[in-house]
Amino acid sequence: MRFWCSTLEVPWSWEFRAYPGIWAVVVLMTAPYLIAVKRRSDLGNEDPEQARRTRFFLAGMFAFWLATDWPLGLLGASYLASAHMLQFLLYTIVAAPLILLGMPEWMARRILGRLRLYRVAVVLARPIVAGVLFNLLLILTHAPGVVDVLRTSQFGSFVMDMVWLLMGLMVWSPIVSPLPEMKRVAAPLKTAYVFLALGVIPAIPAGFLTFADNPLYAIYELAPRVHGLSAGTDQQMAGLIMKIGGIPIIWGTMLAIMVAWLRPAELSAGSTVVSGSVEPDSADIHPADTDSSVDL
Amino acid sequence: MDTFWSRARRSTNSATTSPRRQLGLFAAVCLILAACGGADASEPADEGPYEGIELDVPLAKPDIVLTDTDGNPFDLRAETDGRLTLLYFGYTNCPDICPVHLAQIESVLKRPAMPSNVDVIFVTVDPARDDPASIRRFLDQFSTKFIGLTGTPDELRAAQLAFEVPVAVQEGDEDNYTFGHAGQVFAFAPDGYAYSVYPQGTRQTHWINDIPLLAALTGESTP
Repeated sequence: MRFWCSTLEVPWSWEFRAYPGIWAVVVLMTAPYLIAVKRRSDLGNEDPEQARRTRFFLAGMFAFWLATDWPLGLLGASYLASAHMLQFLLYTIVAAPLILLGMPEWMARRILGRLRLYRVAVVLARPIVAGVLFNLLLILTHAPGVVDVLRTSQFGSFVMDMVWLLMGLMVWSPIVSPLPEMKRVAAPLKTAYVFLALGVIPAIPAGFLTFADNPLYAIYELAPRVHGLSAGTDQQMAGLIMKIGGIPIIWGTMLAIMVAWLRPAELSAGSTVVSGSVEPDSADIHPADTDSSVDL
Repeated sequence: MDTFWSRARRSTNSATTSPRRQLGLFAAVCLILAACGGADASEPADEGPYEGIELDVPLAKPDIVLTDTDGNPFDLRAETDGRLTLLYFGYTNCPDICPVHLAQIESVLKRPAMPSNVDVIFVTVDPARDDPASIRRFLDQFSTKFIGLTGTPDELRAAQLAFEVPVAVQEGDEDNYTFGHAGQVFAFAPDGYAYSVYPQGTRQTHWINDIPLLAALTGESTP
């Protein structure tokens, strides 16, 4: 029994493999959310948006589970660079934004406050910091030396998956953070940010993968082949997935931002969060943490 | 007038460059450089011209005769004379090493810059299950040019001993067994000698470096 998907030295098989560590992490992330939401509701704090948020959160957790568990998790950890890249996209542009969309503001404040991470989160949510750090970590976590080392152990593989999820949460914070002060950037700049941080810059390492003369990752090159897919073709597919796999979500997000921005103010007023209406739990956040200045 | 850019400017402040940010960026760049420059665990440790494991004493191509997939006798020395010969002991039901080796070699040999005087020979260690037809089917998944050889158990045992490798050992029950067998590919240069061998984990870059070097080792140019 293994805890987390990591490199195996046996041929790929569609025979189911159980990874209870993954299930435990999914439960440990989902159950507290549902319990906290239920308690809040029982105390009479009804939120008309909560049902929609819960659906987003559960969808995000489903994407996380799909990316992490058998079969995709094992294929990505052991056999196919293309599966590895699909995992990356699922974590960073599907699971992470859905989890953020599903997180109520009070819960985000409580988590960051209890963990004393509010200030760090605010800094990391600045578009320049988030964009640069995301792409540096993208390059780092796709460097052959790192992948070949981390994927061979369960702990290393766990670290890589978690880093990807945290990268996703960070890079989407300026766009869909539950905290209004983290996304107080103008729509045109948000669009430019999404385009550059998630669209353009990742295309550069994707190009290296697509056009490399030789397989870059030892674990995928030397793994038993899956349905005859050669290591070179697999790597080209990985590059293409990285390059174009996120286009629908990235361009869809850009379109949604611009449409919301261009919408007449009276139509969008209902959905705009005004900073004055934010009521953080004072016990969870240090008073000095509530600096709401916007900084790129 | 409320222009696109004035609206954009209004809602943002200029970037600041704090020491903490600079430190974070510096640490990230260091991490990336360290990751990119990390040692490749599969790199051979020796210092010679070959990426494979160099033999202290070159191995002369053994004088063996086996049977090819058409049922004809195959005299190794005579049939491969003057050609680079990559020879591997394996079996068609091998779940891991054999197909990976063959796929790696096939991927490299089909490249335009590779020499044409190369033979790839697969010698079965499982004659009970690997009849000539099944060997041919197995090899054709990689290349129809690959040569498959079989023989009697005694002939195959003698062949392995001639190559100075441990004789393959059957593992598991009678219905579903595997073999523990030598995992290296022998590369005999056209001059008839193997200067290096290629174990499990040999990467395409290793083959790309070594095959042209070895293919050029004709009798006249051999060091």
